[in-house]
Amino acid sequence: MTLALDIRSITKRYSGHVAVRDLSLQVPKGTVYGLLGPNGAGKTTTIRMLLNIIAPDEGSIAILGRLNTEKGVLDQAGYLPEERGLYRKMQVRRLLRFLAELKGVKGAEADRRIDAWLDKLSLRTAEKDWGAAKVDELSRGMQQKVQFIGTLLHEPQLVILDEPFSGLDPINSQALKDTILELRRAGRTVLFSTHLMDNAERMCDAVCIIARGEKVLDGAVAQVKAEHGGAHLALGLAGGATAAVSEVLNDRSIVARADDHNRFFEIELSPGADAQVLLRRLVESGAIVERFEKVQPSLHQIFLQKVGASGIEDGMTGHG
Amino acid sequence: MDKILAVFKREYMERVRLRSFFIATIFGPILMAVLLILPAWLATRTRISTDVSNIVLIDASGTDLGQRIAGQLSRNGGNPEVRQVAPDGVAAAESLATRQVVAKQREGYLVIGQETVSGERARYAGRNASTLPDMRFVEDAIEQSVRNSRFEAAGIDGQRVQALSNVRLSLGTERLSERGRGSAGRENVVLAYVIAMLLYMSIVLYGQSIMMSVIEEKTQRVAEVVVSAIQPKQLLAGKVLGVGAVGLTQQLIWVASGVLLVRFQAPIMKAVGLAGAPMTMPSVPLTTALIFLVFFVLGFTFFTAMFAAAGSMVSTTQDAQQVATPLTMLIVPSILLLSPVMLEPGGTLSRVVTLIPFTSPILMPVRMSLTNVPWFEVFGSIAILVVTCFGAIWVAARIYRVGVLMYGKKPSLAEVGRWIRAR
Repeated sequence: MTLALDIRSITKRYSGHVAVRDLSLQVPKGTVYGLLGPNGAGKTTTIRMLLNIIAPDEGSIAILGRLNTEKGVLDQAGYLPEERGLYRKMQVRRLLRFLAELKGVKGAEADRRIDAWLDKLSLRTAEKDWGAAKVDELSRGMQQKVQFIGTLLHEPQLVILDEPFSGLDPINSQALKDTILELRRAGRTVLFSTHLMDNAERMCDAVCIIARGEKVLDGAVAQVKAEHGGAHLALGLAGGATAAVSEVLNDRSIVARADDHNRFFEIELSPGADAQVLLRRLVESGAIVERFEKVQPSLHQIFLQKVGASGIEDGMTGHG
Repeated sequence: MDKILAVFKREYMERVRLRSFFIATIFGPILMAVLLILPAWLATRTRISTDVSNIVLIDASGTDLGQRIAGQLSRNGGNPEVRQVAPDGVAAAESLATRQVVAKQREGYLVIGQETVSGERARYAGRNASTLPDMRFVEDAIEQSVRNSRFEAAGIDGQRVQALSNVRLSLGTERLSERGRGSAGRENVVLAYVIAMLLYMSIVLYGQSIMMSVIEEKTQRVAEVVVSAIQPKQLLAGKVLGVGAVGLTQQLIWVASGVLLVRFQAPIMKAVGLAGAPMTMPSVPLTTALIFLVFFVLGFTFFTAMFAAAGSMVSTTQDAQQVATPLTMLIVPSILLLSPVMLEPGGTLSRVVTLIPFTSPILMPVRMSLTNVPWFEVFGSIAILVVTCFGAIWVAARIYRVGVLMYGKKPSLAEVGRWIRAR
């Protein structure tokens, strides 16, 4: 199987700290790959190294079988940075043509693709052609669309998106998900970083979790869940947990971890503990059980289990 | 290379499209036209109006002085009217003349009396009383008439005295220095000054402008998108070349319009109804012009690359002023040294500062337009500038590479040093 991306033992040090330590990843062609981790884990540094914006101190990176420092290799990659930015004073169409030229797409071909994209994302309609407007006349949502067009205009085989969902409203967020899946159907490879575990879990074929610059685990989502999940339970309580119920859930001989969502709990059993014992004790403590189900762990659960609460910094959330 | 071209094209097209570029570019020729027309127009303002002799002479002197003055005045055309009155009739004559002036039949009136014959005073009232040349002309006419009547009384021919004492001499000037004669004509001094100012202005303006555009790319977060597709040094090269081409375009428009203005000065002046003074174009051989171009390109590249690097070090326009100051300090000496170099283009000071790469881009063309600079000095200066230019671009590219993705606090000098050495 050809690898879209083959990262071998990359390390990046800055004065005083190591941003990425000995990270290796393989991303097969045609997959959607999630790079997960809390803020400051080294996601953006890794992505910048992929695109040769900064050079790793050690290790090598190959894109579609060729080193990313070779001439023309990066023309195969499309990049959406976390900090979005466009030349505000430029006309949209001229800006897109410039971005296309930077990636080696020229003249009439660039114009044709720009028009197709503007139509597709309804930036050009019968009433109004936003392509003729200046960037700063566009709404924020429209600017994000333009940025996205700029990322995909040269039809890259590898699409790299840094926190693509941050700052998107639900409609644009859904449109982005659709587009990512569409790219996958067309045989492209998409790698995106996120701290939103729910998105990653639903969309990704494979993930890599990193924390403090190091890889915690990686692999296909199903495999990760099978390997790293212990015995997990979904528990629903009418009226939430009383003090007596909380006491049961805090008994570490049965419950290794309980993720409290008030009326809903994700529970990881302690090794060797019996779910039936837990159920009986809950009923005895007066809990009104609405749901009690053995489940596969969520990525969020696995993340908490592997990285620990100390790995969670501000901005970290299991919901998106 | 294609990618540098893409950056170059964007930089050039977006700048040339700006309204400010358009205004600055047409402002140059307009300023030149004003400088050409204004002196000639001012000269017409200081010429005597033809109405000056269209006045009434109220003569209460009881002599022929009024007739004499009228004779003098009518040399400028026109027909002064002499009204002989008795001393007590002056008031009535004046009020009549005043009415005529108000009715615009006459320009003004002059009152002369016995005190005029004695050479003490006369009075004038009129529409043009505040026009200095007119009044000087009237005064001259009176003085000349008084003088002539005195000459005649003494038995001397006034006309003859005037003819004999009339000398119009013009002093030809030529500058001598230890390097020989005729080093600088006046046109060459003007040329040198114009060249210095054009270079200085374009370096300062475009240096600041490229710095702002680098900061803009950082604050608007475009830099990362661009740098993911192209190496920072390619981006820097494209920007410097693009801005340089814009500067060169503007200069060429200015120089061409300047040449055209001088060349077609006579028809232009005629069109606006002024008589033009003859102007000579300082002659610049083609090779010298090409050398000027080399200095412009090198000096411009050197400073704009440094300004771009300075811009990449900061994230706000406030900080930009601070990092720009040391660079401006490298340019300003060129202007401070302009007068010394122009005074003594062959002196030791001139020879030294035209070798120093910070001052040579501006001062060497100045020196060359004033005097013959030995060819080895010219090429030595170019060689030093080329080497420095490459060094500066190398340093600028390395600062830029790191700086363009750095946000937040302004780096210290030590940090910038680390950026330059970084892998």
